Amino acid sequence: MYRYDEFDAQFVRERAEQFRGQVARRLAGELTEDEFKPLRLMNGLYLQLHAYMLRIAIPYGTLSSRQLRKLGYIARKYDRGYGHFTTRQNLQLHWSQLPDVPDMLLELAEVEMHCLQTSGNCVRNITADHFAAAGSDEIEDPRIISEVLRQWSTLHPEFSFLPRKFKIAVSGSAADRAAIMVHDIGIQIVRNDEGEIGYRVYTGGGLGRTPFIGHEVGQFVAKTDILAFIEAIMRVYNESGRRDNIHKARIKILVHQIGPEEMRKRVEREFAEIKASGTLQLPEAELQRIAAYFAPPAFEELPYTSPELDQAKTSDPAFANWLRTNVDAHKVPGYAIATISLKRIGETPGDCSSDQMEALADLMDEFGQPEIRVTHEQNLVLPHMRKRDLYALWLKLDALGLSTANHGLATDIISCPGLDYCDLANARSINIAKEIARRFADLERQHDLGELKIKISGCINACGHHHVGHIGILGVDRKGVENYQILLGGSGAEDASLGEILGPGFDSEGIADAVENVVATYTKLRHSGERLLDTYRRVGAAPFKERLYAR
Amino acid sequence: MMPQVLTANRLSVGEVVYWNAARGWVAHMRDAEILPDDKAEAVLKDAGARGVQERQVVNPYLLDVRVDGSTVVPVKAREAIRAAGPSARRDLGKQAD
Repeated sequence: MYRYDEFDAQFVRERAEQFRGQVARRLAGELTEDEFKPLRLMNGLYLQLHAYMLRIAIPYGTLSSRQLRKLGYIARKYDRGYGHFTTRQNLQLHWSQLPDVPDMLLELAEVEMHCLQTSGNCVRNITADHFAAAGSDEIEDPRIISEVLRQWSTLHPEFSFLPRKFKIAVSGSAADRAAIMVHDIGIQIVRNDEGEIGYRVYTGGGLGRTPFIGHEVGQFVAKTDILAFIEAIMRVYNESGRRDNIHKARIKILVHQIGPEEMRKRVEREFAEIKASGTLQLPEAELQRIAAYFAPPAFEELPYTSPELDQAKTSDPAFANWLRTNVDAHKVPGYAIATISLKRIGETPGDCSSDQMEALADLMDEFGQPEIRVTHEQNLVLPHMRKRDLYALWLKLDALGLSTANHGLATDIISCPGLDYCDLANARSINIAKEIARRFADLERQHDLGELKIKISGCINACGHHHVGHIGILGVDRKGVENYQILLGGSGAEDASLGEILGPGFDSEGIADAVENVVATYTKLRHSGERLLDTYRRVGAAPFKERLYAR
Repeated sequence: MMPQVLTANRLSVGEVVYWNAARGWVAHMRDAEILPDDKAEAVLKDAGARGVQERQVVNPYLLDVRVDGSTVVPVKAREAIRAAGPSARRDLGKQAD
């Protein structure tokens, strides 16, 4: 993992102390709320429905056991004993109290964490494929360039007052597990015909009020040029992005208005200038220095199969079910990637208790896992498990309520906090997610339906990524009553697409039935091997509408 | 028009509170003062602004309620959730007190 140097550590501690002074001045009346609000937001502190909410940055979703243990401790000591992992791979604590926050920030600083740039019109936490350094299909660890970009973009004076927030995601393989096509900038690590590794760069993607799929602006950007290229995009945006209307201020609107071709030209022009100045070439030595922090653990030479695993698979069907969905191929023989679902039926998607966080940290140490990953789908991943340890791990996860075997299935639902917590929300999302999960809890049925991504947002801002759900659900306020629209055909993966709204929405009592009807239409029409997404793409919306709105 | 209640969040802890002229800022909506529609704006400008000035609360605003006998029910789901706590976690918030 990346380790802070002395300057990083000192800076983060100083920011916590600065915030202590700012909180004291606010409480003493020396700062008004208008003066204080931007200061607290710069430290990730929002005021939500019931209390303050602290959003903690988890760069590229990677945590050490020490950090996870600390998060569990902070959530218990200062909050209500749990946290909520988000689609930006961050952790939110929803019951924070203002006078405690400087201490919380200092506690975070102890484990090289902070809440900087988790709010505001700056480059937000950079997200990356959660299978980094482990996925069998990976070209290069996406966290290396993510860390380079993190260092470059943190407190970057030119990019601290962008027209609007800016989100970057990086994928290290052709399979897109980081939703790069719906980010302000999406970076895909690629290999060219000469075997060199570089970056394919997309821009102008995004969700929210006006969703767009990103456009390729750089087909193959050389490693040394990547900062210059990203800076070129940011400059075009900073200069030409709209500042007069918050709803039209994201880069996606600029790209849409001037067109991808014009965007490419402008980026190329800026890039040529920056490159000619020679100031932003990424030195190979620096890249290597950062890459060294992400060196995978020393893998043992293990046989491809494990007799312990095979035996447990036969003797314990529940474990076999977990293996089937929650364990993925690792690039090293004898190892596997284990996804820990935070989607137990009846629980809030993405929530994790302090007890669970601390127990997981202990399991990481016990099983020699230096890192755990937070996924944008609100699950956790142990990336480097020995296959022979999987059953022992699963037994312990089971005791913690963390063995749910549903990764990628109908009950692995993304849900934003919605109106239960969020000041921006128009409708509840957690209860809808819980009800749908309850309806589809039968595992045999889930396996029959195959990969089915259901994503729920409680407002148009789309933190729950509803536009890219195979089934997306958007909560709206209809004359003071919560109402839910269904979108079909979205994907946040390498086959990215935006879902389309089927028709009039459903009330909170009717939305789960509507989802059942969508699924029933799919099972009636599907060809062998088709996911719901594939069937929808083949037959279109008509048969789904017919079933949903037949009266 | 509907009767209204003045609400805000406590500056220090963020807790949801309601205005009652006799008792000040109170924790539960059942203790809130029901403001007739024609009086509510004035209370927001007076008590709400004073609460901000005295650093007791932030973000004061008026919410619509229905009064049914002795019970006060907010019109919007958002306000019902603020008054009770998250409906997805009945063990948290004012509903758990």
